[in-house]
Parts: sequence; structure tokens; C-alpha cells
Amino acid sequence: MSEDLYWTLIDIANGLLSGAMLGGYYAIISLGLALVFGVMRLVNLAHGDWLIVAAYIAAVVVQFLGFPPFVSLIVVVPAMFVIGYALQRYLLNRVSVQAMEEKGMSSNFGLMSPILVTFGMSIVIAHALLGIFASDATGIKNALSYSAIRLTQDLSISTLRLIFFGIAGAILVSVHLFLHRSHAGRAIRAASDDPEVASLMGMRTERIYALASAISLAVAGVAGVAVGMSRTFQPFDGPQFLLIAFGVVIVGGLGSIAGSLVGGVLLGITQVLAGTYFGPSAQLVAGYMLILFVLAVRPQGLFSR
Amino acid sequence: MTEILAVSELRKSFGALRVADRISFVVRQGEILGIIGPNGAGKTTLFGLLAGNIRADSGRIEFDGADVTHLPAHDRARAGLARTYQIPRPFTHMTVFDNLLVAARFGGDMDEAEAESWVERVIGAMGLRAERNTLAGRLPLLMRKRHELARALATRPKLVLVDEVAAGLTDAEVEQFIALIRGIRDSGITVVWIEHVMKTMLTATDRLIALDAGQLLVSGPPQEVINASEVRRVYLGA
Repeated sequence: MSEDLYWTLIDIANGLLSGAMLGGYYAIISLGLALVFGVMRLVNLAHGDWLIVAAYIAAVVVQFLGFPPFVSLIVVVPAMFVIGYALQRYLLNRVSVQAMEEKGMSSNFGLMSPILVTFGMSIVIAHALLGIFASDATGIKNALSYSAIRLTQDLSISTLRLIFFGIAGAILVSVHLFLHRSHAGRAIRAASDDPEVASLMGMRTERIYALASAISLAVAGVAGVAVGMSRTFQPFDGPQFLLIAFGVVIVGGLGSIAGSLVGGVLLGITQVLAGTYFGPSAQLVAGYMLILFVLAVRPQGLFSR
Repeated sequence: MTEILAVSELRKSFGALRVADRISFVVRQGEILGIIGPNGAGKTTLFGLLAGNIRADSGRIEFDGADVTHLPAHDRARAGLARTYQIPRPFTHMTVFDNLLVAARFGGDMDEAEAESWVERVIGAMGLRAERNTLAGRLPLLMRKRHELARALATRPKLVLVDEVAAGLTDAEVEQFIALIRGIRDSGITVVWIEHVMKTMLTATDRLIALDAGQLLVSGPPQEVINASEVRRVYLGA
């Protein structure tokens, strides 16, 4: 094999591998957004900000309790679960499509009002974080954040990203099993199909929605820890993760859980390969071009049902 | 005979449109009560009011001895009130079995084991054995209609509200449904049945009420109601 061909192949292999691994990270970031959209047709514009909240909770736990970053999950995930449940039950359910219809208003209000509410929430969260933590960059990196696994002499992958990929896969499988095999999961699927009929069948949709929202933010909690271990973060960083999540969800298919991983991997590979061949500045552009391409060719996303 | 449902002075308006105007009637335990009326008479709205999808402006609904006027739909379902839709609304991404299972577990308040064996029985009784594991969204029309009824029964109701099943079916298929619904009644479940096809209502019900423009016109034995001058007027314009 000629030297040139070897390096070409190594470049491609590296792009595919690290792009795919980046996809796991993206999937964790997006899964919660995909879930609440799939179940409630609710677009949570504060998704990224909640993720940053989770990252800050993790930072506090790591700093004051001295936990290693990964162990902070045992605090972060339950905390985010509770926040998600309460948020849906006591705030978002009041502005949902059903709530608006019950008040005799157009269901368009029901689609619009959660967008406005979560947009406002996004601003409030960012400023609250600024008030509490100031704008200094925070992080919870440890040695793991810098370690890599060497596959061949010229091919290696980031240990952290590999772990995230495994976690993304595990979350996907558990959420899928939960939705299909468990009592509560079946209720979530039923309510997502037809909330009115679900209530006729004796289901309390407002609680079911709260549970879905709780799971969504619990996963965002994992994402927050993943972000904190990968890079530094600041109070106003939320929207960029929302943007990543939107991209992944558009590529993978709105509301599709499996689509999050596929969408994440495709976006990751596109960005890394573009970065390899056209320089770092091409990464974002390539990502958006992929999103644009999918919107043009298959607007419902690759995995939409 | 005891009354399982008593409706008094029920009123509902959507803006200026009066869809239920002081409707009062009773449903007796173990009967098949038919509801007829021209399009827009308020039949389906009445079902919405009874099942709790729509809240009444005023009036009172008593079900099985308790006032349910202000109960939300899910509590009415748990109390034993079930409803079907004219255009079936299955949970399309779930199998027939899972559709019935959630109905039994939530509406019927059963535990998993009890719900599973109950659902198997309902599936058998409703002739859906072969479709047990089919996604409900893939069922053809006739099976969808059976499924709609089966899912309502899976909640183990005391009273089931059946909204038009005959539309789009052949005479033989309608006969099958009449037999099914009679069978449901014979198993001790009271039935309130909306239908557009007069012939079906005449042969299949014990008693009829006729609605028009949100008002109750007449109630009584099927033949009498159909012959009543008010009913002939709204149906035939004579």
C-alpha cells in the first residue's frame, strides 16, 4: 500500500470513528427533546438550559461532596427527574393543547404557548445561573476527559466519547424497553397516540405527561454531566445545545428515540469529516448542510414513524 | 328496573350554537337504549358530555348512583363508563393486545395478571384472536370497529356508549354487530347506542330516544318513536 493511500484511509477511518463517537454524545443531548416532542408535541426551547443547570448541579456536587464526575449522576439524575415532573405537572400542563381546548381556545394556542413559556424559561434560567455562579467558565473534567484508547498506531478514540456512546446506547435501550414493556410506558405511548381516548380509557394524561417530562430531563441530566466532562460551560451556553439537539432530531426524525442515535452519529460523522478535509470552520457549516439536505429530501426525518 | 344513568337538564353551548338544550332522560340497567336524530342533532356531543370529554354548562349526570357531573373523563372510565367513536380511534402504534391491556389496567383498574386474562377473554369474544398481535393502525375497517368496541369492553364497563357502527358496513356485517351488542347486553352491560340507520335501531334496541337540534324530541318503544310525528318531521321534513 502506498503511503498516500494509507493516510487517506486513516483519515476516513478516524473521521468515521470519532464522528460516530461524537454521535453518542449528541444523542444523549437530544434524546430528551425527542421524547417530549414525540409524546406531547411539545417543543421545549429551554432544553439546552436545563442541560446546563444539570451541569452546574454536577459541578456543585463534584466540588462540595468531592464525588468523581460520573458519580455525580446519582444526584443529578434524580434531581432533574423531579424538576421535570414538577415542571410539567404544575406549569406546562396548564398551557398544553388540551388545557387550551378545555378553556375553549384554539388548539393553536396550545401549540404556541409552551414555546413561549419555555422560551421565557430559557432566559430566566440563564440569568438565574448568571446570578448564582457568575459568568466564569466552569468544568468538571478529570483525567478521563483527556484519555484515549489506541486502536492501531495511528488510530485512536477518546475514552470519554466511547463511554458516552455506551451510555447513549444503554439509555436508548432502556427507554425503548420502558416504553414497550412497562405499565407506565404503555400509558405514555397510548397518551402520545391519542390523549383524549387515553383519558377515556382511565389514564390521567397530566401525570403521564409529567412522567415523560421527568424522564426527558433525567436524560438531560446525563447530558449535562457529559457536557461538563467534555468542556467548560457558562450560564448562557444552553441554546447551542438546543441547536445541536434540534439538528439531531431533524435528521433522525421528530419524536423518534432510535432516530436520536442515528441522527447524532450522522451529524457527528459529517462534522468530523468536514473538519478533517476543510478545516475546523467547516464543521458547523457541514452540520447545517446535512440538516438542510434532510429537510429538503425527507422532511419528516430518517426515522420518523 | 333500576336506573344506571340519569341525565337531567343537561345544557351545553359552543358560542351561540346550542348543542344540548335541557336534555333529560334515564337509562335502565340492562337495556339497549338507541339514540336517533338527523346530522347535527347533538348525538355525538351528548356522548362527549356523558363520557366527560366535554364539560356541561349546567345540568346533572348521575351514573350508578353517584353524581359524575364534575368528574374528569378518566374517573368516569374507572367508574365503569366506556365510550366508542364512530370513526375508530385505536392507539395506532400499539398492538391490539396492548390497546386492550392499557384499557383494562387503567380503566378497569386491574392488576397485570388479571388484566391479561381478561383481555384474552375479550379478544376471543370479539373475534379478534387472529389480530391479537397486529398493530391496531393496520386493521381494516371492520376489524377497527370491532377493536373499538373490544377496547371499551376491556375496561370492564357497566355502561358502554356505542357511537355509530353501521356506517360503511354491509347488511351482513351490521347483523353481526347487532348480535355482538346483544351479547354484550346479555352479559350484563347496559348499552346506549347511536345509529343513523333506522332499520338497525328498530330491530336492535329496547327503547329509543330521538334528538334534534340539541333537544330531546320523544322517547319510548322503538316503533312508537319512529312513528312519532315530531320524528317524521325532522327526518322527512313532513
